Amino acid sequence: MDNADLRRGKPTNHKVFGEDMAVLAGDALFALAFEHMTALSIALVVSPERKIRAVIELAKAIGTKGLVGGQVIDLCSEGLDPNDVGLEHLEFIHLHKTAALLEAVAVVGAILGGRTEEEIEKLRKYARCTGLMFQVVDDVLDVTKSTDELGTSAGKDVIAGKLTYPRLIGLERSRELAEKLSKEADEQHIGFDPNKAVPLVALASYITGRHN
Amino acid sequence: MLFSASATPLVPSLCLLAAEKPVNRRPMMMRLSGGGAIGSSSSSSNFDLKTYWGTLMTEINQKLDEAIPVKYPAGIYESMRYSVLAQGAKRAPPVMCVAACELFGGDRLAAFPTACALEMVHAASLIHDDLPCMDDDPVRRGKPSNHTVYGSDIAILAGDALFPLAFQHIVSHTPPDLVPRATILRVIAEIARTVGSTGMAAGQFVDLEGGPFPPSFVQEKKFGAMAECSAVCGGLLGGATDHELETLRRYGRAVGMLYQVVDDEKKTDGAIQMAQELKDKAKKELQVFDDDDDKYSEELVVPLHTFVDYAAHRHFLLPL
Repeated sequence: MDNADLRRGKPTNHKVFGEDMAVLAGDALFALAFEHMTALSIALVVSPERKIRAVIELAKAIGTKGLVGGQVIDLCSEGLDPNDVGLEHLEFIHLHKTAALLEAVAVVGAILGGRTEEEIEKLRKYARCTGLMFQVVDDVLDVTKSTDELGTSAGKDVIAGKLTYPRLIGLERSRELAEKLSKEADEQHIGFDPNKAVPLVALASYITGRHN
Repeated sequence: MLFSASATPLVPSLCLLAAEKPVNRRPMMMRLSGGGAIGSSSSSSNFDLKTYWGTLMTEINQKLDEAIPVKYPAGIYESMRYSVLAQGAKRAPPVMCVAACELFGGDRLAAFPTACALEMVHAASLIHDDLPCMDDDPVRRGKPSNHTVYGSDIAILAGDALFPLAFQHIVSHTPPDLVPRATILRVIAEIARTVGSTGMAAGQFVDLEGGPFPPSFVQEKKFGAMAECSAVCGGLLGGATDHELETLRRYGRAVGMLYQVVDDEKKTDGAIQMAQELKDKAKKELQVFDDDDDKYSEELVVPLHTFVDYAAHRHFLLPL
Protein backbone atom coordinates (compact mmCIF):
# COMPACT_ATOMS: atom_id res chain seq x y z
CA MET A 1 0.00 0.00 0.00
CA ASP A 2 2.12 2.88 1.24
CA ASN A 3 5.26 0.75 0.92
CA ALA A 4 6.80 2.22 4.04
CA ASP A 5 10.08 0.97 5.45
CA LEU A 6 9.74 2.68 8.80
CA ARG A 7 7.01 3.06 11.35
CA ARG A 8 7.59 4.98 14.58
CA GLY A 9 11.27 4.99 13.86
CA LYS A 10 11.53 1.22 13.51
CA PRO A 11 11.40 -1.15 10.55
CA THR A 12 7.80 -1.84 9.52
CA ASN A 13 6.18 -5.16 10.39
CA HIS A 14 6.37 -6.59 6.87
CA LYS A 15 10.04 -5.71 6.60
CA VAL A 16 10.79 -7.79 9.66
CA PHE A 17 8.32 -10.65 9.28
CA GLY A 18 7.44 -10.66 5.59
CA GLU A 19 4.29 -9.49 3.85
CA ASP A 20 2.36 -12.70 4.37
CA MET A 21 2.89 -12.66 8.11
CA ALA A 22 2.11 -8.96 8.28
CA VAL A 23 -1.24 -9.45 6.53
CA LEU A 24 -2.08 -12.34 8.85
CA ALA A 25 -1.00 -10.38 11.91
CA GLY A 26 -3.30 -7.54 10.91
CA ASP A 27 -6.18 -9.95 10.35
CA ALA A 28 -5.54 -11.66 13.67
CA LEU A 29 -5.41 -8.34 15.53
CA PHE A 30 -8.75 -7.25 14.09
CA ALA A 31 -10.25 -10.52 15.25
CA LEU A 32 -8.57 -10.35 18.65
CA ALA A 33 -9.90 -6.84 19.21
CA PHE A 34 -13.48 -8.05 18.87
CA GLU A 35 -12.85 -11.24 20.79
CA HIS A 36 -11.38 -9.14 23.55
CA MET A 37 -14.30 -6.75 23.60
CA THR A 38 -16.88 -9.49 23.79
CA ALA A 39 -15.14 -11.53 26.48
CA LEU A 40 -17.75 -12.91 28.80
CA SER A 41 -15.78 -12.11 31.91
CA ILE A 42 -16.81 -8.48 31.70
CA ALA A 43 -20.40 -9.29 30.83
CA LEU A 44 -21.33 -8.69 34.43
CA VAL A 45 -20.18 -5.10 34.42
CA VAL A 46 -21.61 -3.96 31.10
CA SER A 47 -24.96 -4.97 29.63
CA PRO A 48 -24.96 -6.98 26.39
CA GLU A 49 -26.83 -4.13 24.74
CA ARG A 50 -24.03 -1.68 25.49
CA LYS A 51 -21.30 -4.08 24.54
CA ILE A 52 -22.95 -4.70 21.20
CA ARG A 53 -23.24 -0.97 20.57
CA ALA A 54 -19.57 -0.61 21.35
CA VAL A 55 -18.65 -3.47 19.02
CA ILE A 56 -20.67 -1.95 16.19
CA GLU A 57 -19.14 1.49 16.74
CA LEU A 58 -15.67 0.01 16.34
CA ALA A 59 -16.74 -2.11 13.39
CA LYS A 60 -18.04 0.98 11.56
CA ALA A 61 -14.81 2.84 12.24
CA ILE A 62 -12.59 0.25 10.61
CA GLY A 63 -14.73 -0.66 7.61
CA THR A 64 -15.69 1.10 4.40
CA LYS A 65 -17.22 3.96 6.39
CA GLY A 66 -13.98 4.43 8.28
CA LEU A 67 -10.38 3.32 7.86
CA VAL A 68 -10.86 1.30 4.71
CA GLY A 69 -12.86 4.04 2.96
CA GLY A 70 -10.24 6.63 3.82
CA GLN A 71 -7.40 4.41 2.72
CA VAL A 72 -9.05 3.68 -0.63
CA ILE A 73 -9.44 7.38 -1.43
CA ASP A 74 -5.94 8.08 -0.15
CA LEU A 75 -4.52 5.45 -2.49
CA CYS A 76 -6.42 6.97 -5.43
CA SER A 77 -5.23 10.46 -4.56
CA GLU A 78 -1.63 10.00 -5.49
CA GLY A 79 -0.65 12.35 -8.23
CA LEU A 80 -3.79 14.45 -8.11
CA ASP A 81 -3.40 18.15 -8.80
CA PRO A 82 -4.45 20.11 -5.71
CA ASN A 83 -6.03 22.70 -7.98
CA ASP A 84 -8.47 20.10 -9.25
CA VAL A 85 -9.36 18.79 -5.83
CA GLY A 86 -11.86 20.31 -3.45
CA LEU A 87 -11.43 20.56 0.31
CA GLU A 88 -14.07 17.92 0.82
CA HIS A 89 -11.83 15.36 -0.87
CA LEU A 90 -9.07 15.91 1.65
CA GLU A 91 -11.56 16.03 4.46
CA PHE A 92 -12.98 12.70 3.35
CA ILE A 93 -9.56 11.11 3.65
CA HIS A 94 -8.86 12.51 7.09
CA LEU A 95 -12.35 11.97 8.46
CA HIS A 96 -12.15 8.34 7.46
CA LYS A 97 -8.50 7.52 7.98
CA THR A 98 -7.89 9.38 11.21
CA ALA A 99 -10.96 10.92 12.76
CA ALA A 100 -13.18 7.83 12.49
CA LEU A 101 -11.12 5.71 14.85
CA LEU A 102 -10.65 8.58 17.28
CA GLU A 103 -14.38 9.14 17.17
CA ALA A 104 -15.01 5.47 17.82
CA VAL A 105 -12.78 5.26 20.86
CA ALA A 106 -14.35 8.32 22.44
CA VAL A 107 -17.86 7.09 21.69
CA VAL A 108 -17.10 3.55 22.88
CA GLY A 109 -15.83 5.00 26.14
CA ALA A 110 -18.98 7.08 26.47
CA ILE A 111 -21.25 4.11 25.71
CA LEU A 112 -19.51 1.83 28.18
CA GLY A 113 -19.50 4.63 30.74
CA GLY A 114 -23.26 4.94 30.47
CA ARG A 115 -23.45 8.43 28.97
CA THR A 116 -26.70 9.81 27.54
CA GLU A 117 -27.26 10.03 23.79
CA GLU A 118 -26.63 13.77 23.86
CA GLU A 119 -23.36 13.32 25.71
CA ILE A 120 -22.28 10.58 23.34
CA GLU A 121 -22.83 12.83 20.35
CA LYS A 122 -20.88 15.66 21.96
CA LEU A 123 -17.94 13.36 22.55
CA ARG A 124 -18.22 12.10 19.01
CA LYS A 125 -17.99 15.64 17.72
CA TYR A 126 -15.15 16.48 20.08
CA ALA A 127 -13.15 13.52 18.81
CA ARG A 128 -13.92 14.21 15.18
CA CYS A 129 -12.82 17.84 15.45
CA THR A 130 -9.69 16.82 17.32
CA GLY A 131 -8.85 14.22 14.70
CA LEU A 132 -9.24 16.66 11.84
CA MET A 133 -7.37 19.31 13.75
CA PHE A 134 -4.49 16.94 14.19
CA GLN A 135 -4.19 16.57 10.44
CA VAL A 136 -4.44 20.28 9.73
CA VAL A 137 -1.77 21.07 12.32
CA ASP A 138 0.37 18.29 10.94
CA ASP A 139 0.17 19.76 7.44
CA VAL A 140 0.84 23.28 8.68
CA LEU A 141 3.86 22.14 10.68
CA ASP A 142 5.30 20.45 7.62
CA VAL A 143 5.24 23.70 5.74
CA THR A 144 6.50 25.89 8.56
CA LYS A 145 9.24 23.45 9.44
CA SER A 146 10.51 23.47 5.88
CA THR A 147 10.36 27.20 5.81
CA ASP A 148 12.44 27.42 8.99
CA GLU A 149 14.92 24.83 7.92
CA LEU A 150 15.34 25.85 4.32
CA GLY A 151 14.77 29.55 4.65
CA THR A 152 12.38 29.38 1.72
CA SER A 153 8.79 28.28 1.43
CA ALA A 154 8.40 24.64 0.54
CA GLY A 155 8.96 24.36 -3.20
CA LYS A 156 7.51 20.94 -3.68
CA ASP A 157 6.02 19.89 -6.94
CA VAL A 158 2.29 20.46 -6.59
CA ILE A 159 1.46 17.52 -8.86
CA ALA A 160 3.44 14.86 -7.03
CA GLY A 161 3.12 13.98 -3.37
CA LYS A 162 0.37 14.24 -0.85
CA LEU A 163 -2.64 16.49 -0.80
CA THR A 164 -2.36 18.81 2.15
CA TYR A 165 -4.45 21.63 3.62
CA PRO A 166 -1.90 24.36 2.87
CA ARG A 167 -1.70 23.19 -0.74
CA LEU A 168 -5.45 23.26 -1.10
CA ILE A 169 -6.42 26.39 0.81
CA GLY A 170 -3.13 28.04 1.70
CA LEU A 171 -1.23 28.34 4.96
CA GLU A 172 -3.22 31.18 6.48
CA ARG A 173 -6.60 29.59 5.88
CA SER A 174 -5.26 26.31 7.20
CA ARG A 175 -4.29 27.99 10.47
CA GLU A 176 -7.76 29.51 10.66
CA LEU A 177 -9.33 26.14 10.09
CA ALA A 178 -7.29 24.66 12.93
CA GLU A 179 -8.50 27.46 15.19
CA LYS A 180 -12.09 26.89 14.18
CA LEU A 181 -11.85 23.16 14.83
CA SER A 182 -10.21 23.81 18.18
CA LYS A 183 -13.11 26.05 19.23
CA GLU A 184 -15.63 23.48 18.06
CA ALA A 185 -13.90 20.80 20.09
CA ASP A 186 -13.89 23.03 23.17
CA GLU A 187 -17.62 23.72 22.84
CA GLN A 188 -18.37 20.04 23.23
CA HIS A 189 -17.10 20.08 26.80
CA ILE A 190 -19.82 22.42 27.96
CA GLY A 191 -22.10 20.56 30.31
CA PHE A 192 -19.53 18.07 31.43
CA ASP A 193 -17.94 18.11 34.87
CA PRO A 194 -14.81 20.23 34.18
CA ASN A 195 -12.66 18.13 36.51
CA LYS A 196 -13.59 14.96 34.70
CA ALA A 197 -13.13 16.57 31.32
CA VAL A 198 -9.59 17.68 32.06
CA PRO A 199 -7.80 14.73 30.45
CA LEU A 200 -9.77 15.16 27.22
CA VAL A 201 -9.13 18.89 27.13
CA ALA A 202 -5.45 18.34 27.81
CA LEU A 203 -5.27 15.74 25.05
CA ALA A 204 -6.75 18.12 22.50
CA SER A 205 -4.37 20.87 23.57
CA TYR A 206 -1.40 18.59 23.28
CA ILE A 207 -2.42 17.54 19.80
CA THR A 208 -2.87 21.10 18.57
CA GLY A 209 -0.10 22.65 20.61
CA ARG A 210 2.51 20.42 19.06
CA HIS A 211 4.59 23.32 17.99
CA ASN A 212 5.47 23.82 21.64
CA MET B 1 -13.77 -26.12 -1.37
CA LEU B 2 -16.93 -25.55 0.67
CA PHE B 3 -15.03 -24.61 3.76
CA SER B 4 -11.51 -24.42 2.51
CA ALA B 5 -9.08 -21.82 1.54
CA SER B 6 -7.93 -23.90 -1.39
CA ALA B 7 -8.34 -22.51 -4.86
CA THR B 8 -8.89 -25.90 -6.47
CA PRO B 9 -12.32 -25.81 -8.05
CA LEU B 10 -14.78 -28.47 -6.99
CA VAL B 11 -15.47 -30.82 -9.88
CA PRO B 12 -18.02 -33.46 -8.90
CA SER B 13 -18.19 -36.57 -11.03
CA LEU B 14 -21.55 -35.47 -12.44
CA CYS B 15 -20.31 -32.06 -13.49
CA LEU B 16 -21.79 -31.05 -16.80
CA LEU B 17 -20.03 -27.75 -17.04
CA ALA B 18 -16.84 -27.18 -18.96
CA ALA B 19 -14.32 -27.99 -16.28
CA GLU B 20 -11.06 -26.17 -15.85
CA LYS B 21 -9.33 -29.51 -15.35
CA PRO B 22 -10.19 -33.06 -16.38
CA VAL B 23 -12.27 -34.96 -13.84
CA ASN B 24 -9.95 -37.32 -12.07
CA ARG B 25 -11.17 -37.48 -8.53
CA ARG B 26 -13.06 -40.75 -8.51
CA PRO B 27 -11.07 -43.11 -6.28
CA MET B 28 -11.60 -41.32 -2.97
CA MET B 29 -15.35 -41.12 -3.37
CA MET B 30 -15.74 -44.77 -4.32
CA ARG B 31 -13.59 -46.22 -1.57
CA LEU B 32 -15.24 -44.73 1.50
CA SER B 33 -17.64 -47.17 3.11
CA GLY B 34 -21.17 -46.32 4.03
CA GLY B 35 -21.67 -44.41 0.81
CA GLY B 36 -25.12 -42.89 0.67
CA ALA B 37 -26.43 -44.67 3.75
CA ILE B 38 -27.19 -42.19 6.45
CA GLY B 39 -27.26 -42.83 10.19
CA SER B 40 -30.23 -44.64 11.54
CA SER B 41 -32.98 -42.67 9.85
CA SER B 42 -34.54 -44.26 6.81
CA SER B 43 -36.28 -41.17 5.51
CA SER B 44 -32.98 -39.42 5.20
CA SER B 45 -32.01 -41.35 2.10
CA ASN B 46 -34.97 -39.64 0.44
CA PHE B 47 -33.99 -36.21 1.67
CA ASP B 48 -33.47 -33.88 -1.22
CA LEU B 49 -30.34 -32.03 -0.17
CA LYS B 50 -30.01 -30.47 -3.57
CA THR B 51 -33.33 -28.64 -3.36
CA TYR B 52 -32.88 -27.77 0.29
CA TRP B 53 -29.47 -26.31 -0.41
CA GLY B 54 -30.55 -24.65 -3.65
CA THR B 55 -33.48 -22.88 -1.99
CA LEU B 56 -31.33 -21.60 0.81
CA MET B 57 -28.63 -20.52 -1.59
CA THR B 58 -31.09 -18.39 -3.51
CA GLU B 59 -32.22 -16.66 -0.34
CA ILE B 60 -28.69 -16.15 0.93
CA ASN B 61 -27.52 -14.77 -2.42
CA GLN B 62 -30.38 -12.30 -2.41
CA LYS B 63 -29.60 -11.12 1.09
CA LEU B 64 -25.88 -10.84 0.39
CA ASP B 65 -26.61 -8.75 -2.68
CA GLU B 66 -28.69 -6.39 -0.55
CA ALA B 67 -26.12 -6.35 2.24
CA ILE B 68 -23.34 -4.85 0.12
CA PRO B 69 -24.76 -2.04 -2.02
CA VAL B 70 -22.24 -0.05 -4.03
CA LYS B 71 -21.52 3.30 -2.41
CA TYR B 72 -18.67 5.78 -2.54
CA PRO B 73 -15.92 4.87 -3.24
CA ALA B 74 -17.34 2.34 -5.68
CA GLY B 75 -14.11 0.40 -6.24
CA ILE B 76 -13.95 -1.12 -2.78
CA TYR B 77 -17.60 -2.17 -2.80
CA GLU B 78 -17.22 -3.73 -6.21
CA SER B 79 -14.22 -5.69 -5.00
CA MET B 80 -16.16 -6.89 -1.96
CA ARG B 81 -19.14 -7.89 -4.09
CA TYR B 82 -16.93 -9.63 -6.62
CA SER B 83 -15.80 -12.15 -4.05
CA VAL B 84 -18.92 -12.41 -1.91
CA LEU B 85 -21.35 -12.76 -4.81
CA ALA B 86 -19.05 -15.03 -6.83
CA GLN B 87 -20.98 -17.41 -9.05
CA GLY B 88 -19.15 -20.54 -8.00
CA ALA B 89 -19.75 -20.07 -4.29
CA LYS B 90 -21.45 -23.01 -2.64
CA ARG B 91 -22.61 -21.14 0.46
CA ALA B 92 -21.78 -24.04 2.74
CA PRO B 93 -21.17 -21.95 5.89
CA PRO B 94 -24.56 -20.18 5.65
CA VAL B 95 -26.45 -23.38 4.84
CA MET B 96 -24.86 -25.23 7.73
CA CYS B 97 -25.65 -22.34 10.05
CA VAL B 98 -29.32 -22.34 9.08
CA ALA B 99 -29.59 -26.11 9.36
CA ALA B 100 -28.02 -26.11 12.80
CA CYS B 101 -30.34 -23.33 13.94
CA GLU B 102 -33.46 -25.10 12.74
CA LEU B 103 -32.40 -28.36 14.39
CA PHE B 104 -33.14 -26.79 17.76
CA GLY B 105 -36.41 -25.30 16.69
CA GLY B 106 -34.93 -21.95 15.75
CA ASP B 107 -36.49 -19.78 13.08
CA ARG B 108 -34.33 -19.48 10.00
CA LEU B 109 -35.05 -15.74 10.01
CA ALA B 110 -32.97 -15.61 13.16
CA ALA B 111 -30.11 -17.32 11.36
CA PHE B 112 -30.05 -15.54 8.01
CA PRO B 113 -28.07 -12.44 9.08
CA THR B 114 -25.41 -14.56 10.79
CA ALA B 115 -25.42 -16.94 7.84
CA CYS B 116 -24.64 -14.01 5.55
CA ALA B 117 -22.00 -12.75 7.95
CA LEU B 118 -20.28 -16.15 7.88
CA GLU B 119 -20.15 -16.02 4.12
CA MET B 120 -18.65 -12.52 4.25
CA VAL B 121 -15.96 -13.68 6.65
CA HIS B 122 -15.35 -16.75 4.53
CA ALA B 123 -14.98 -14.62 1.41
CA ALA B 124 -12.63 -12.26 3.24
CA SER B 125 -10.35 -15.11 4.26
CA LEU B 126 -10.28 -16.44 0.68
CA ILE B 127 -9.39 -13.02 -0.72
CA HIS B 128 -6.43 -12.73 1.63
CA ASP B 129 -5.36 -16.34 1.16
CA ASP B 130 -5.14 -15.87 -2.63
CA LEU B 131 -2.88 -12.81 -2.38
CA PRO B 132 0.52 -12.93 -4.09
CA CYS B 133 2.22 -12.67 -0.72
CA MET B 134 0.21 -15.65 0.57
CA ASP B 135 -0.92 -18.63 -1.53
CA ASP B 136 -0.53 -16.60 -4.72
CA ASP B 137 -3.56 -18.00 -6.54
CA PRO B 138 -4.50 -16.24 -9.78
CA VAL B 139 -7.75 -18.21 -9.99
CA ARG B 140 -10.55 -18.76 -7.52
CA ARG B 141 -13.70 -20.78 -8.33
CA GLY B 142 -12.72 -20.82 -11.98
CA LYS B 143 -12.44 -17.04 -12.24
CA PRO B 144 -9.62 -14.54 -11.74
CA SER B 145 -8.99 -14.04 -8.05
CA ASN B 146 -9.89 -10.72 -6.48
CA HIS B 147 -6.39 -9.18 -6.46
CA THR B 148 -5.93 -10.13 -10.11
CA VAL B 149 -8.90 -7.95 -11.03
CA TYR B 150 -8.67 -5.15 -8.48
CA GLY B 151 -5.04 -5.18 -7.41
CA SER B 152 -3.54 -6.37 -4.15
CA ASP B 153 -4.11 -3.17 -2.23
CA ILE B 154 -7.86 -3.04 -2.91
CA ALA B 155 -8.13 -6.81 -2.34
CA ILE B 156 -6.47 -6.52 1.06
CA LEU B 157 -8.80 -3.67 1.96
CA ALA B 158 -11.86 -5.54 0.69
CA GLY B 159 -11.03 -8.41 3.02
CA ASP B 160 -10.43 -5.94 5.84
CA ALA B 161 -13.81 -4.30 5.21
CA LEU B 162 -15.85 -7.50 4.95
CA PHE B 163 -14.92 -8.61 8.43
CA PRO B 164 -16.40 -5.66 10.35
CA LEU B 165 -19.30 -5.52 7.90
CA ALA B 166 -20.16 -9.07 8.90
CA PHE B 167 -20.53 -8.01 12.53
CA GLN B 168 -22.56 -4.96 11.63
CA HIS B 169 -24.83 -7.09 9.50
CA ILE B 170 -25.52 -9.51 12.32
CA VAL B 171 -26.46 -6.74 14.71
CA SER B 172 -28.47 -4.62 12.29
CA HIS B 173 -30.46 -7.49 10.75
CA THR B 174 -31.02 -10.08 13.46
CA PRO B 175 -34.57 -9.67 14.80
CA PRO B 176 -34.24 -8.77 18.49
CA ASP B 177 -37.47 -10.56 19.29
CA LEU B 178 -36.01 -13.79 17.96
CA VAL B 179 -32.49 -13.59 19.39
CA PRO B 180 -31.44 -12.17 22.77
CA ARG B 181 -28.60 -9.65 22.75
CA ALA B 182 -26.43 -11.88 24.91
CA THR B 183 -26.63 -14.54 22.22
CA ILE B 184 -25.61 -12.08 19.53
CA LEU B 185 -22.50 -11.33 21.59
CA ARG B 186 -21.69 -15.01 21.79
CA VAL B 187 -22.06 -15.32 18.03
CA ILE B 188 -19.74 -12.37 17.46
CA ALA B 189 -17.22 -13.81 19.92
CA GLU B 190 -17.37 -17.19 18.20
CA ILE B 191 -16.70 -15.70 14.77
CA ALA B 192 -13.91 -13.49 16.10
CA ARG B 193 -12.22 -16.46 17.70
CA THR B 194 -12.56 -18.55 14.56
CA VAL B 195 -10.87 -15.95 12.39
CA GLY B 196 -8.15 -15.03 14.81
CA SER B 197 -4.78 -16.24 15.92
CA THR B 198 -6.07 -19.49 17.37
CA GLY B 199 -8.24 -20.28 14.36
CA MET B 200 -7.96 -19.65 10.67
CA ALA B 201 -5.03 -17.29 10.92
CA ALA B 202 -3.12 -19.98 12.79
CA GLY B 203 -3.89 -22.50 10.09
CA GLN B 204 -2.72 -20.24 7.34
CA PHE B 205 0.41 -19.34 9.29
CA VAL B 206 1.41 -22.97 9.66
CA ASP B 207 0.47 -23.65 6.06
CA LEU B 208 2.86 -20.92 4.96
CA GLU B 209 5.64 -21.41 7.46
CA GLY B 210 5.49 -25.03 8.54
CA GLY B 211 6.47 -25.89 12.08
CA PRO B 212 6.28 -28.63 14.67
CA PHE B 213 2.59 -29.29 14.16
CA PRO B 214 0.86 -32.51 13.14
CA PRO B 215 -0.35 -32.58 9.51
CA SER B 216 -3.93 -32.36 10.70
CA PHE B 217 -3.27 -28.98 12.31
CA VAL B 218 -3.60 -27.05 9.07
CA GLN B 219 -6.67 -29.05 8.09
CA GLU B 220 -8.28 -28.45 11.40
CA LYS B 221 -7.50 -24.77 11.60
CA LYS B 222 -7.95 -23.68 8.04
CA PHE B 223 -10.89 -25.80 7.02
CA GLY B 224 -12.44 -27.31 10.10
CA ALA B 225 -12.66 -23.96 11.85
CA MET B 226 -15.13 -22.35 9.47
CA ALA B 227 -17.47 -25.35 9.45
CA GLU B 228 -17.24 -25.59 13.22
CA CYS B 229 -18.05 -21.90 13.53
CA SER B 230 -21.03 -22.17 11.21
CA ALA B 231 -22.53 -25.09 13.08
CA VAL B 232 -21.96 -23.53 16.49
CA CYS B 233 -23.36 -20.13 15.48
CA GLY B 234 -26.44 -21.85 14.10
CA GLY B 235 -26.82 -23.76 17.33
CA LEU B 236 -26.46 -20.58 19.40
CA LEU B 237 -29.16 -18.89 17.37
CA GLY B 238 -31.45 -21.90 17.71
CA GLY B 239 -31.07 -21.97 21.47
CA ALA B 240 -28.83 -25.02 21.84
CA THR B 241 -27.47 -25.92 25.25
CA ASP B 242 -23.74 -25.81 25.92
CA HIS B 243 -23.57 -29.58 25.65
CA GLU B 244 -25.36 -29.51 22.30
CA LEU B 245 -23.04 -26.76 21.13
CA GLU B 246 -19.99 -28.88 21.88
CA THR B 247 -21.48 -31.70 19.84
CA LEU B 248 -22.09 -29.31 16.96
CA ARG B 249 -18.56 -28.04 17.32
CA ARG B 250 -17.02 -31.48 16.93
CA TYR B 251 -19.42 -32.33 14.12
CA GLY B 252 -18.66 -29.14 12.23
CA ARG B 253 -14.94 -29.52 12.59
CA ALA B 254 -15.07 -33.08 11.28
CA VAL B 255 -17.23 -32.16 8.28
CA GLY B 256 -15.00 -29.25 7.34
CA MET B 257 -11.88 -31.34 7.51
CA LEU B 258 -13.57 -34.22 5.68
CA TYR B 259 -14.52 -31.94 2.84
CA GLN B 260 -10.97 -30.77 2.39
CA VAL B 261 -9.38 -34.19 2.74
CA VAL B 262 -11.70 -35.59 0.05
CA ASP B 263 -11.08 -32.53 -2.10
CA ASP B 264 -7.36 -32.98 -1.88
CA GLU B 265 -5.56 -34.29 -4.90
CA LYS B 266 -3.29 -36.58 -2.89
CA LYS B 267 -5.28 -39.80 -2.67
CA THR B 268 -2.91 -41.65 -0.40
CA ASP B 269 -4.06 -44.52 1.74
CA GLY B 270 -3.45 -42.34 4.74
CA ALA B 271 -5.74 -39.68 3.32
CA ILE B 272 -8.46 -42.20 2.55
CA GLN B 273 -8.26 -43.58 6.06
CA MET B 274 -8.39 -40.09 7.50
CA ALA B 275 -11.47 -39.35 5.40
CA GLN B 276 -13.18 -42.48 6.66
CA GLU B 277 -12.35 -41.59 10.25
CA LEU B 278 -13.65 -38.08 9.82
CA LYS B 279 -16.85 -39.31 8.25
CA ASP B 280 -17.41 -41.77 11.08
CA LYS B 281 -16.61 -39.11 13.62
CA ALA B 282 -19.07 -36.63 12.14
CA LYS B 283 -21.81 -39.26 12.01
CA LYS B 284 -21.07 -40.35 15.55
CA GLU B 285 -21.61 -36.82 16.82
CA LEU B 286 -25.03 -36.74 15.20
CA GLN B 287 -26.01 -39.88 17.10
CA VAL B 288 -27.20 -37.86 20.08
CA PHE B 289 -29.67 -36.08 17.81
CA ASP B 290 -30.68 -39.27 15.98
CA ASP B 291 -31.38 -41.15 19.17
CA ASP B 292 -33.86 -38.68 20.63
CA ASP B 293 -36.84 -38.49 18.26
CA ASP B 294 -38.91 -36.57 20.75
CA LYS B 295 -36.47 -33.76 21.17
CA TYR B 296 -35.01 -33.52 17.69
CA SER B 297 -37.28 -33.86 14.73
CA GLU B 298 -35.82 -36.45 12.35
CA GLU B 299 -36.33 -34.27 9.31
CA LEU B 300 -34.25 -31.54 10.92
CA VAL B 301 -31.31 -33.83 11.67
CA VAL B 302 -31.25 -35.16 8.14
CA PRO B 303 -29.64 -32.11 6.52
CA LEU B 304 -26.71 -32.42 8.90
CA HIS B 305 -26.26 -36.05 7.86
CA THR B 306 -26.39 -35.21 4.20
CA PHE B 307 -23.66 -32.57 4.60
CA VAL B 308 -21.38 -35.37 5.73
CA ASP B 309 -22.41 -37.59 2.84
CA TYR B 310 -21.95 -34.81 0.35
CA ALA B 311 -18.51 -34.01 1.75
CA ALA B 312 -17.54 -37.66 1.44
CA HIS B 313 -19.19 -38.64 -1.80
CA ARG B 314 -20.15 -35.56 -3.79
CA HIS B 315 -22.96 -37.40 -5.43
CA PHE B 316 -24.70 -34.45 -6.97
CA LEU B 317 -23.95 -31.17 -8.59
CA LEU B 318 -24.89 -28.22 -6.48
CA PRO B 319 -27.05 -25.65 -8.24
CA LEU B 320 -25.18 -22.52 -9.25
